[in-house]
Amino acid sequence: MTRAPSIKIDIPGALRDCCGGATELSLAVSSVRAALEQIERRYPSLYRNICDETGAVRRHINLFVNTSHVRDREGLDTALVPGDVVTILPAISGG
Amino acid sequence: MSERVILCIGTKKGLFVAEAPKTRRTFALRGPFSSGVAVYSALIDARGAPRLYASSCNAFFGMKVLRSTDLGKTFNETKSAPAFPKEDGRALVNIWSLEAGDTKKELWCGVEPASLFRSSDGGDSWEMVPSISNHEHARKWQPGNGGLCMHTILRDGNRVHLGISTGGHYLSEDRGTTFTASNQGVGAGFAPDPYPEFGQCVHKIAGHKDAPGRLYMQNHGGWAKWDGPGGPRPDIGVLRSDDHGKTWRSIAKGLPSDFGFPIVVHPDDADTVYVLPLEPSTRTCPGAAPAVWRSEDGGGSWKRLARGLPKKESFFTVQRDAMDIDELKSPALYFGTTTGQLWIGRDGGEQWSCLYDSLPPIHCVKVAVV
Repeated sequence: MTRAPSIKIDIPGALRDCCGGATELSLAVSSVRAALEQIERRYPSLYRNICDETGAVRRHINLFVNTSHVRDREGLDTALVPGDVVTILPAISGG
Repeated sequence: MSERVILCIGTKKGLFVAEAPKTRRTFALRGPFSSGVAVYSALIDARGAPRLYASSCNAFFGMKVLRSTDLGKTFNETKSAPAFPKEDGRALVNIWSLEAGDTKKELWCGVEPASLFRSSDGGDSWEMVPSISNHEHARKWQPGNGGLCMHTILRDGNRVHLGISTGGHYLSEDRGTTFTASNQGVGAGFAPDPYPEFGQCVHKIAGHKDAPGRLYMQNHGGWAKWDGPGGPRPDIGVLRSDDHGKTWRSIAKGLPSDFGFPIVVHPDDADTVYVLPLEPSTRTCPGAAPAVWRSEDGGGSWKRLARGLPKKESFFTVQRDAMDIDELKSPALYFGTTTGQLWIGRDGGEQWSCLYDSLPPIHCVKVAVV
């Protein structure tokens, strides 16, 4: 059985209260979708801030794998390899 | 501890709490709480040890419910906010109304897209009320300019009245187990049928604890000059019911406009009702001169109350939940504007003064004596 790679999730300051103040999380997952599923199980409050109840990533939340936005790759099915960093960034925009 | 007046002021940039002694001579302002995030609804639950609740509608991270047990000195998020079941397919856009339930910890919550939620633990967990949220009409309701919102929840024993824009008035007589569209006499200006079964753009509904069958409604008026299918629909904007909302009749005669958002009833007199008429095309006060209008005979006649309010060049809107009245012996009205002013109308609205003139745009104002 293949062991899932260890990747890092970078947590923005506004959401650190949802995961005990952690600035980053290490997860053994092989896709962005699997990362979100694990976050939903382990940190439900953090998950609710990232995704709505349909499972969609909230409109003003951007997910990056390293420097690539997941929308420019395979969306939530974007594969992760050991050492990848997933960054959660609220889109600070608008008036 | 002596009684005091507590105001919750929900704004585009967070929640403010103002506190005053019963004289209301001076108010002390606290906040903003949930700074930078819009607050569309608030509840002051004055039963027993007072609790304050507010919705926090975060465009980035979703909806939260805030709770305070120290009269608004501090607020904390409840453990969860209303959320549709995953398989439902809808996602919460906004929280428009919070109301107290039967027990101290029971809360009701109206949301956008129009649906009802109930909590039995003070807002820490929520369950959707399927009788209205999955009503056979629910997928046919259309959003109004403010969104498809359930903005009014009125409870009277086994009866529950809901106001939905744009869905109309729905009535339950079995504590929310079933709901029926109850809009006989409620007009709609934007449909070929002037009096449809449902789909009216109800703006707000108000009742009175001592007159449970009596209801007042601010509906979407401003259709007197409509020349499309179905013809003009004058005076459909301000309505009254005397049979628990089963039928409605116009009480708009005598007002400068039948368009407006809030409607408020005097705490000790079910015949005294207040509206704030607006021009339908601009949502600002007629003649740029704001005024609250009061009827002391249940809508039979109206008097303009404007002493102390600007006489000209005033172009604000007062939103559906942005006017309230306190329960002191000579009650004061309060309204907040989209230009960030909070006005107090002492002596039942006879004399107005501006409490705060530079708050963020105001969405809701709630007052209680605790």
